[in-house]
Amino acid sequence: MRGAGLAALLALLSAGAAAHPAPNSLLKLDFGTSGVRAEYWVPVSELAYARAADTRGGGFADYLLRHVAAESPGGVPWRVSVAGVREATYADHAYLVADLSLQPPAGASARAFVLLDDAVTHEVRNHVVYVLARRDAGSDLLGLLQYPTRRLEIAAP
Amino acid sequence: MRVAALPLLFLCAVGFAAPAQNCRQSAGGPGNAATVAAALGEFRALLSNAQRAALDKPLSYESAIHWSNLPIGVVPRTGLRLGDLDPKQTAAARKLFEAALSACGLKLLDEVRLADDWLAGYDKRPIGWNGGNYYVTVLGEPGAQSPWMLQLGGHHLAYNFTFNGHLPGATPLFFGSEPIRFEMKGVTYQPLDAQSSAMSKLATAIAARPGAKLSGTFTDVVKGVVMTPGKPGELPTGGTDTGFPQTYPTGSNDRGVLVSALDPAQRRLAREAMESFASFPGSAISAPLLAAYLDPKAFEATYVGFAGDPALGTKGSYIRVDGPRAWMELVVQPAIAHPEELHYHALWRDKQSDYGGEIRH
Repeated sequence: MRGAGLAALLALLSAGAAAHPAPNSLLKLDFGTSGVRAEYWVPVSELAYARAADTRGGGFADYLLRHVAAESPGGVPWRVSVAGVREATYADHAYLVADLSLQPPAGASARAFVLLDDAVTHEVRNHVVYVLARRDAGSDLLGLLQYPTRRLEIAAP
Repeated sequence: MRVAALPLLFLCAVGFAAPAQNCRQSAGGPGNAATVAAALGEFRALLSNAQRAALDKPLSYESAIHWSNLPIGVVPRTGLRLGDLDPKQTAAARKLFEAALSACGLKLLDEVRLADDWLAGYDKRPIGWNGGNYYVTVLGEPGAQSPWMLQLGGHHLAYNFTFNGHLPGATPLFFGSEPIRFEMKGVTYQPLDAQSSAMSKLATAIAARPGAKLSGTFTDVVKGVVMTPGKPGELPTGGTDTGFPQTYPTGSNDRGVLVSALDPAQRRLAREAMESFASFPGSAISAPLLAAYLDPKAFEATYVGFAGDPALGTKGSYIRVDGPRAWMELVVQPAIAHPEELHYHALWRDKQSDYGGEIRH
């Protein structure tokens, strides 16, 4: 019974993506005491349009670091780095998944910051980045980014 | 038989084309609240208690935004399924639709459902491609005074008509077609022929004008429903109008070219493109909206822009009308059943009167 339920769920997931030719991105934030870890799911199909428009070279991590930044509410930059990149498939769509580290300046709270992000949205006009906060059970939607908006004030829930 | 990618000449040789309509006139149902409510009353009288329970929803944010451009296997609908109605109920439902919709709106409903029937043979997963999987829902108390909504739609159609609202409410109105051209029983259909033709003529006419070409890439309509991605083991969510209320471009940058800059022939094409999108509801709904859009001051302040192929012959082609109130966009996507073929999504929103101005988040 449990197996049948899982099969049905996977079938629905597969159907969902295959029926939607323009997948969106997901940025899931995990708030720690000294910084924020983030997992960024970016669909390869939409990323290809963005990489064609941003020809400055490098890999996916280099691209992300050109398009994702964070700063304190007062405007002091955070340090953003990419810890790793992997490939994933979700519901028939290929994704690149980056593990990001967002570190506030010394003495600043890691619970509130301003996200500056136009990855993919700088080129794909209908693309939406969902910004979520990971919780023990599920996640909270913190906001959406879609062209021309690239700034989102983040506060840990 | 797959015909969507075949030349029109061949289609003409194998079947008759469905009657063409320019969809600029508002022939058809009156679309006024009293007439639609009366037709609804006659339909409701034929329903069981369980069917009435499926039909009736509160006039709330959650109910109103529950429309989609995704099949029901992805975003389940909650209204009364047209495919479950008996013949008498189907006939009464038809009279309801005839009261609410123009001739073009009724034709779109019929042909979009036929396109889903055409797709049904390819629905192996399945995700619910089926002309029976279209639903009718009533939000609030139908009548001639208080606000209420009639929702009618499924995979590639979402009619959201608000009666007795603060403002005339025809929108959000999503419509699409996969395939963009198909044949059934010897008849060739192009559900979005009038709208795609009108938009394409406009884009072709303005293509050489500075500023007419929009920057960026378009893989779907910009202000449509959105599907929240998830991870394996998590259900995707959304797929409904959770982005409402929308924000829209401001200023003049990257919005296309102003109607005020167009010559008379191009202005006529801009007007006809707007009329084609606004042609679906009955005239009581569409006439005041069109009057507002075509008011000289509003019309001249309307931007028209495009991306990709003005003739809409390739995926990623996109055409938009962006006025003080009107937001009308049409995009070409790859088809799902046959990715080498094409697929239209189109959306009409009103920046002031989506849901008749009656819905707040």
